[in-house]
Amino acid sequence: MARTIAAALGAAAASAWLAAGPAEAAEKIIKVGALLPLSGPGAYFGAQDKQGIELALERINATGINGTKLEVQYEDSACQPLPATQAAKRLIDEAKPDIIIGEECSDATLAVMPLVAQAHVPLLNAGSSSIKVTDPGNPWTFRIMPNEVMQGEDLAKNAANELHAKTAVVLHENTNAGIGNADIFEKIFTKLGGKVLANIGFGRDVNDFTAIATRVAGLGAVDVVPTYTLEGQGLKITQALAQAGITKGGGGKAIQIATIWLPQSFDPKAGKAAEGYIRIVQFDPNDQRPVVRDFVKAFEAKYREQPTHLNAHAWDQIFLIADVVKRGGHDAQSIRDALAATKGFEGVTGTVTFDEHNQNISMDTVHYVETQPDASWKVLKWN
Amino acid sequence: MAPSVPSPLVGEGQSEGVSARRASSVLSFLPVLLQQSINGVVLGSLYVLVALGLTLIYGVLLQINFAHADIVTLGAFAAYFFIHSLGGGYLSSIAVAFLVGGALGWLLNAAIFAPLRERGDELRPLIATIGVSVLIENLALAWFGPVPYAFDSPYSGQVIRFAGAFITIQSLLVVVVASATIAALYLFMHATYVGKALRAVAQDRETAGLMGIDPNRLIMLTFVIASALAGMGGAMLGPILVLTPFAGASVIVKAFAIVIIGGFGNMEGTIIAGLFVGLIESFTTQFLDPGLIDIVVFGLLLATLAIRPTGLIAERREENV
Repeated sequence: MARTIAAALGAAAASAWLAAGPAEAAEKIIKVGALLPLSGPGAYFGAQDKQGIELALERINATGINGTKLEVQYEDSACQPLPATQAAKRLIDEAKPDIIIGEECSDATLAVMPLVAQAHVPLLNAGSSSIKVTDPGNPWTFRIMPNEVMQGEDLAKNAANELHAKTAVVLHENTNAGIGNADIFEKIFTKLGGKVLANIGFGRDVNDFTAIATRVAGLGAVDVVPTYTLEGQGLKITQALAQAGITKGGGGKAIQIATIWLPQSFDPKAGKAAEGYIRIVQFDPNDQRPVVRDFVKAFEAKYREQPTHLNAHAWDQIFLIADVVKRGGHDAQSIRDALAATKGFEGVTGTVTFDEHNQNISMDTVHYVETQPDASWKVLKWN
Repeated sequence: MAPSVPSPLVGEGQSEGVSARRASSVLSFLPVLLQQSINGVVLGSLYVLVALGLTLIYGVLLQINFAHADIVTLGAFAAYFFIHSLGGGYLSSIAVAFLVGGALGWLLNAAIFAPLRERGDELRPLIATIGVSVLIENLALAWFGPVPYAFDSPYSGQVIRFAGAFITIQSLLVVVVASATIAALYLFMHATYVGKALRAVAQDRETAGLMGIDPNRLIMLTFVIASALAGMGGAMLGPILVLTPFAGASVIVKAFAIVIIGGFGNMEGTIIAGLFVGLIESFTTQFLDPGLIDIVVFGLLLATLAIRPTGLIAERREENV
């Protein structure tokens, strides 16, 4: 009942928010370019982003924003630098967007950033964690997710202080985000007195992780295994670590930990192997804030499934653009300026306030969850 | 956190005297070596299952089939849906994937490759295999979506532990099925009339035709067998690899490398090369870095091409397949 009331309040607030302001006779279109991985191993990002975008568009365009509607043009950027730059060029040359959202993978985002900045089009990113996206970044790139330093420092501190971990083996894909996250964890964890027994990187084409699990097992007693991969490889790593008897899910003592990479749908797929997995999340479908209840209700009504943080990030990106348009953004330059001035925007994945590097500094919804035997999440009161 | 406990692959003599510690250290490392050898053989067996079909088609037709990877993928999905939608068992799903793969091989050859071959052009069927591969991959993406599937075999979670090492029943099944497939294929090729006819077609298609053998029927049979093996390989790979529409593509490059290292269409060479590559991957992971696997494997491929261009086993063409 409380959830229903919260959702109703959220929906009413959203409709009133969108309809507020003087109505204009002529309909203006704000073109949004979406650089999403729609093929390759990161294609699940694109599919889930698209769900969130479409749902947000339905809601926003039903009433418009002061006579303005949003239109999205999708391009497949494949989570890789080369396809991403080609897709960005196509978007900029043909669609001439007022703003671009994406990419998910840091390698791809870093590759398109100079092109987008050169075209003077704002880029609103949600899923790339590499620090390089906003440090030094460029005036045209914005990020709403906490970067790898914000997450990595916190993860290492909690591994040492909350889990009392003394040893770690870091597993990561060999990408900007994978290497960056791993290095930050190692730096902070070592500074806190912990010992990193191995920092093991691998390509995205590695399929069988039994050999890596064997190596980890051979390193001796391991307390935590920070892991940074896409969902597919993540599943196989978690299962291989459990089969080797290293992690809790396989009867071992080590705890797998991670930053914001994997959706909640990961846990049921990984099964018992995921038991005890602790990771940072920015979106929890059980969050009782009205905006979250409204989003979850709308999402479940449309797609008949529970939303993930990827769906939520995409929804927030579109609603943030709508907010910027409501605040007077009408072309690329004014949208950039309004984005930079964003303070306290309330999204499903938390509040958005950008610093001088265009990094969202709010961490109000960022928290830790631990996977339970039935694949559900238990919220840890660490922050 | 509770006091750390030794992992299953680490020996227990680490607090003894120096010499005892050294001896213990060597002994404690043996389970790791044994484990990585097991891992390498399992991975190699998976590669062999995929590469055998490729080598069969190359041996008979001198054609590279880029769509082979996608038949592996569809075989894996056929097995997955047989289990999850029709309630079938995993072992039966292997047979289903075998049949689906065979049917796809028949369909692709009858509808696309055979008509192109009849035009007497070597290049067109090759290009067509690329087109078919892209087509199947994108159809699979549209039908199955990009989100990874959890293809759990009931045998994935059953672990046998011995001598400080372990193997899952699923991995054991992969080795058994690969060994049985190799034996069955070898017997078929060397002890049956049809197998001998197939080898005759591989040796000289025109002369085989003059001897009363219908080369087109045997080429069709080659495609069916190779694709059935690919489909079955998919069912075996599904629970071990990441099941997405790109699952087959992730192993096919290694399979091509194995076919080349093994000796371009030579079955025995493919088997040895497959196991060799599997072991190299495991020991590279253990002693170097998993990020170096591709450098080591493809370095080996280049070395093979430079030093022994005919592959590990260089035989006369008629003795291939």
